[in-house]
Amino acid sequence: MTSLHPAESLQQTAPDAPAIVVQGLVKRYKQLAAVDGIDFAVRRGEVFGLIGPDGAGKTTTFQILAGVMEPTAGTASVLGRPPRDARLKIGYITQPFSLYLDLSVDENLRYSAELKQVDEALFEERRARYLKLVDLDRFADRLAGQLSGGMKQKLALCAALIPQPEILLLDEPTTGVDPVSRREFWDVLAALSEEQVTVVVATPYLDEAERCHRVALMYGGRLESPDTPARLRAGLGLARLEVHASDLERAEQVLQTLEAVEDVQTFGDRLDVLVADPERGERAVADALSGLSPQVGRADPTLENVFVTRLRQQGSDPPLLNFPHPLRRSAPAEAVAIGAHQLGKTFGSFRAVHDLSLEVHPGQIYGLLGANGAGKTTTIKMLCGLLPPSTGSVTLAGESDGLRSSELRRRLGYMSQKFTLYDDLSILQNLEFYCGVYSVPRRLRRERIDWVIDICGLRGQENLITGQLPGGWKQRVAFGASVMHQPEVLFLDEPTSGVDPLARRQFWRLIEMFARAGTAVLVTTHYLEEAEHCHRLGFMVAGELVIQGTPGEIKARQPGQIYEVVSADLPHAARALRSLFAQASWRVALFGDRLHVVLDEPDARLAKLQAVGHTRKIEYSLEDAFIGMVQRARQEGS
Amino acid sequence: MKFLERLLESRLWALMRKETVQILKNRQLLFLLLFPPTVQLLVFGYALSPDVRHLKLAVADYANTADSRELVAAFATNGIFDVAAALNSPQAVSEAVRTGRVTAALVIPPEFQRDLARGQTPEVQLLIDGVDANTAGIASGYASQIVRQFGYTLAGTSPAAIDPIVTILYNPGLRSSWFFVPGVLGLVLTLTSSLVSSATVVREKDVGTLEQLLMTPAAAWEILLAKLAPLFVLLVGEALLALAIARLAFGVPFLGNFWLFMIFTSLYICVGVGIGMMLATIARSQTQVVLTAFFVNLPLIQLSGAIAPIETMPEFFQVVSLADPLRHYIAIVRGMLLKGVGIEALWPNVLVLAASAFLLIAISTNRFRRQLE
Repeated sequence: MTSLHPAESLQQTAPDAPAIVVQGLVKRYKQLAAVDGIDFAVRRGEVFGLIGPDGAGKTTTFQILAGVMEPTAGTASVLGRPPRDARLKIGYITQPFSLYLDLSVDENLRYSAELKQVDEALFEERRARYLKLVDLDRFADRLAGQLSGGMKQKLALCAALIPQPEILLLDEPTTGVDPVSRREFWDVLAALSEEQVTVVVATPYLDEAERCHRVALMYGGRLESPDTPARLRAGLGLARLEVHASDLERAEQVLQTLEAVEDVQTFGDRLDVLVADPERGERAVADALSGLSPQVGRADPTLENVFVTRLRQQGSDPPLLNFPHPLRRSAPAEAVAIGAHQLGKTFGSFRAVHDLSLEVHPGQIYGLLGANGAGKTTTIKMLCGLLPPSTGSVTLAGESDGLRSSELRRRLGYMSQKFTLYDDLSILQNLEFYCGVYSVPRRLRRERIDWVIDICGLRGQENLITGQLPGGWKQRVAFGASVMHQPEVLFLDEPTSGVDPLARRQFWRLIEMFARAGTAVLVTTHYLEEAEHCHRLGFMVAGELVIQGTPGEIKARQPGQIYEVVSADLPHAARALRSLFAQASWRVALFGDRLHVVLDEPDARLAKLQAVGHTRKIEYSLEDAFIGMVQRARQEGS
Repeated sequence: MKFLERLLESRLWALMRKETVQILKNRQLLFLLLFPPTVQLLVFGYALSPDVRHLKLAVADYANTADSRELVAAFATNGIFDVAAALNSPQAVSEAVRTGRVTAALVIPPEFQRDLARGQTPEVQLLIDGVDANTAGIASGYASQIVRQFGYTLAGTSPAAIDPIVTILYNPGLRSSWFFVPGVLGLVLTLTSSLVSSATVVREKDVGTLEQLLMTPAAAWEILLAKLAPLFVLLVGEALLALAIARLAFGVPFLGNFWLFMIFTSLYICVGVGIGMMLATIARSQTQVVLTAFFVNLPLIQLSGAIAPIETMPEFFQVVSLADPLRHYIAIVRGMLLKGVGIEALWPNVLVLAASAFLLIAISTNRFRRQLE
């Protein structure tokens, strides 16, 4: 036990009593049961993960635990008391973060302290400590509104920590946060857990769920019995095969028809194939793909495999339906659908985008990647004509002037980062509206709207008010709304942010479907395994496009070598290796249940890696590449 | 049929449907459109009346004769003054006025009867609390009138060769509510149309849907027209409501042509809505737009003559007020309601309204697309 806890707070409950106990919890909204009788207990100092599809009841559970909502039936007790009475000991971070964007970092913290009546001297001490912990101490005077998404989340966490809660409730804290910041955020959570802070966290990122002590899968208001990630993976009873082949798309189609195969998923540059019996499965897969030069390797199933398999068993796999009556496109493949030439944008003295050139052709999916605040959204806004560039020129659907004409915009589709739907209208009214403004012919409207409702699995709920939909679901409807007119050029700014893994797969299949029909797609995402679906990628760092190419080319051009280290005591191994690199601790990154270590000169340090755990040389993943590029740029900048 | 088909398929139709549904779902907005204007009209109409009645009068009648009592009675009978206290010392009189217990005090000296008997002009003293200058002026006017009238009755003669006969046109009862109600009607229309239209336009920016909307093929004018058409209908309804209140609660006549009046009112609603739209393209959030609307609307109202007559303003502001569309609209309302004049007299005002509406709407349409920059 450390200084984190004043002695008196511990006397109220025995030290080994669970911090949170939930029994038979039910919450109904009219007829709908959002939470339908769940039981679980969370130990003190535990990081407890809630994972589940959108609309599973996670947010409702958080609201009850935070004491802001009363359950319909059942009990929840936090630190041995009803949640309402334990509120001073609870820190709660909601999905849209609760910061005052027109106050500075310091002012936000001070406000949070005053709200919970933290003593002035204590405040100063904690402020210094937590700002350092989340690495924001240099930005104390900056306005919260000017922080990047990841920094905002860390500030929200910091503000929640100031009153020294014993319980942290985090509802999707890293949605929309880039991979580097997400890792830093989770490092902070790990540090807090070691100080006996109890953390309950919901996340759509399953690599994050791997970092929880225990994970519970939630769907339809019910909760499966929580277990450690390792036991959940083992309990799946399936083996995973990593399959590389010359034509993945074809290979996936072949494997889907195979009886021995339980599930196939394109995962980056490989297929993840789940089979009941590894030996027989391996043979069956190799035989089936004989024409595609397959390489099959065995591996343990991941939490994502568990999640997806369980949800499929529940029958909640969103259907993939063909777009009704698609138009035939005849644009030549070499035409420029989206083009930028030496594009630049400055706001005052801030250079948001600098000297950016790119080309996207019909049928191509271009992924624009970068950390929060790298300039991706500004670039998209310039490319689609919402924001006039300071320098350079833009070509859209073959046109380079009249970018603001109504005629041209009819051929574009755009899904902005947030709030693309009218919350006060029903789902149906929203879709009818977008059909109307994009002049979808009346005879096709019914069909297209039905298509969106079906792919979203919202049949029968068309008249629901959009504002009541969970975030991930809203994203799906918004995507549907932005493609109903079958655009020639489609801009998607973080379309899958906050969307559950199963729905994300469907998202990418739909995007690929539109690309095959000739639509040029420009997409941003923070899920780098998704970025593998892109035909071409561009990485942005501080407003500049630092590298472009196919996923393969980008990975091949990374300096240094990556080693995977597996160790029984991962936190210890990570600490040991990080201390090795001192200033460049980013070289050690947690990937689920293993470490990835980047070495520029492998010979010198390999022995030290091997001393920590089982070490093997691996290929760069896009996520490794991303972390490497962002961190190297950061090092040069500082 | 074909036209209908094309209309139902048009972007404008889609935009209008969406706006109408949103407005109808917005109970608060509907309430804002109906409730405050009604209250404002009633409050302004009744409370802003400058008529002076039932002033408290202290009387110190040192003469205490039949004539002096008759004078006191003359004060008390017309409803303007109420005798609130009978006092008998000069100190008590001045104290009563000083403390505000009474607004005026009448002192009849002991010599009153003697002077009357001698044929000399008797003097009476009237003390009036001048803190409220307006009331004091009116009270003093009434009091001198009463005293003079009383003098004539006593003397039994008509004193002056010229006795002016004043006929008051258009508002024969000189009912001040007739002056105020048309002004308040203009005021209410200005406030609601500018606030409501700015709120609906700025809301898209506030929630973040504006970006998405600007990316659709819809042109700025289509978006704005669709936003304003349903509001326009509601505001015309509000004007009718205000008119009904003017008629029923205050008996304000309607001498002009009703349809012509509604056309001019529609034109003014366009001006109000144009003000709101322009503010919305400038402001960045809902709170900002409400605050700026405050800054714009107050001077508009002050300069319009809705409450205080334009003639009481310094000359400079009288000139400035010519640029105030509300001034012209109120001129139209008063002219049409009370005088029954038509376009032949009001065309300069109508011209100003048309020009302002065009200018405001053109500027905001032009600015609309550039708001994100």
